[in-house]
Amino acid sequence: MNNREKINDDLLRQYISPEKIEKAPEGFTSKVMTRVQLETRALILAEKSWKKNLVPAISAAITILLIASAFLIPGSQSDAFANPVLSLFKNLNFSMPEIKLTSIFRVTLPSVVMYVFIGIIILTLFDRALNRIFHREK
Amino acid sequence: MDYKGDIYYIEQILAGNSNSFSYIVDRHKDKAYNLAFRICGNHEEAEELAQDSFLKAYRSLKSFKMKSSFATWLYRIIYNTAISHIRIKKKGVLSLEDFPADATDFIGSSTSDEEAEKEYRSSLVNFALQKINEEERVLISLYYYEDMNIEEISDVTGMNKSNIKVKLFRARQKMFEIIEKVEKKNLIYHE
Repeated sequence: MNNREKINDDLLRQYISPEKIEKAPEGFTSKVMTRVQLETRALILAEKSWKKNLVPAISAAITILLIASAFLIPGSQSDAFANPVLSLFKNLNFSMPEIKLTSIFRVTLPSVVMYVFIGIIILTLFDRALNRIFHREK
Repeated sequence: MDYKGDIYYIEQILAGNSNSFSYIVDRHKDKAYNLAFRICGNHEEAEELAQDSFLKAYRSLKSFKMKSSFATWLYRIIYNTAISHIRIKKKGVLSLEDFPADATDFIGSSTSDEEAEKEYRSSLVNFALQKINEEERVLISLYYYEDMNIEEISDVTGMNKSNIKVKLFRARQKMFEIIEKVEKKNLIYHE
């Protein structure tokens, strides 16, 4: 610091009284903490809603994918990409054992109905399991 | 209750105890508020600015590397927040006429002449501070009010040391010119 600077520095220090520190107003900490709590709560809610929406989002993605593939996979078997997929489905042989319902209900139902019921029960259990995982309270 | 140090409370917050942040706020609020006030020049804006800075600090606490002190890191946040706040809300330029010529304005609640003189000088410095640009204002505030050295100021502002020295020199000169002009004007007023 040269002489001129030193003089300026000393003079300025005379004007600035270090004890003249502006203090934070009353209730400053509680105001900041209220904003912090609101922020924390908003973050928790955002995280919860993300988890809540995960299953529907995955379901929607799969549905969109299936619909898109229905449009994109051509009917003809000449397409190089679709060929293996189509031939896989074509070669699938479902052999569902026949379940005799006549002995229980005395009605004749197609055997596939039983599989549909079993499928619904499995999907319901799967849904409950996912629900417990994603809606678990912290 | 004894303050256990910034690091202790930061670790508590990162472990999920957000209430520990109140100890940190309580510890640093006056200095943070003072700096904000020196930069923006009025109490309402200073409170808003200091609160915003604490909130930003809370949000980005995970990124605090603990290489510098928490205070330096917080000052850096206040500095950046204040600079962008001022640039958005550019104020009109103060004229010398904005500073009251009648010294009795400063007596107010002061009990003695000495106190009134202090009030007057403090207001004069604040007035001069508002007349220089925001960067220079921060440098003067950090150097004189927060009593930081050039290296610490460099940590806060990210400017290099020689740049800080040059800017401080210019800021000092500008402030003196303003103070001299106001005092001359007041002298004429009282004659």
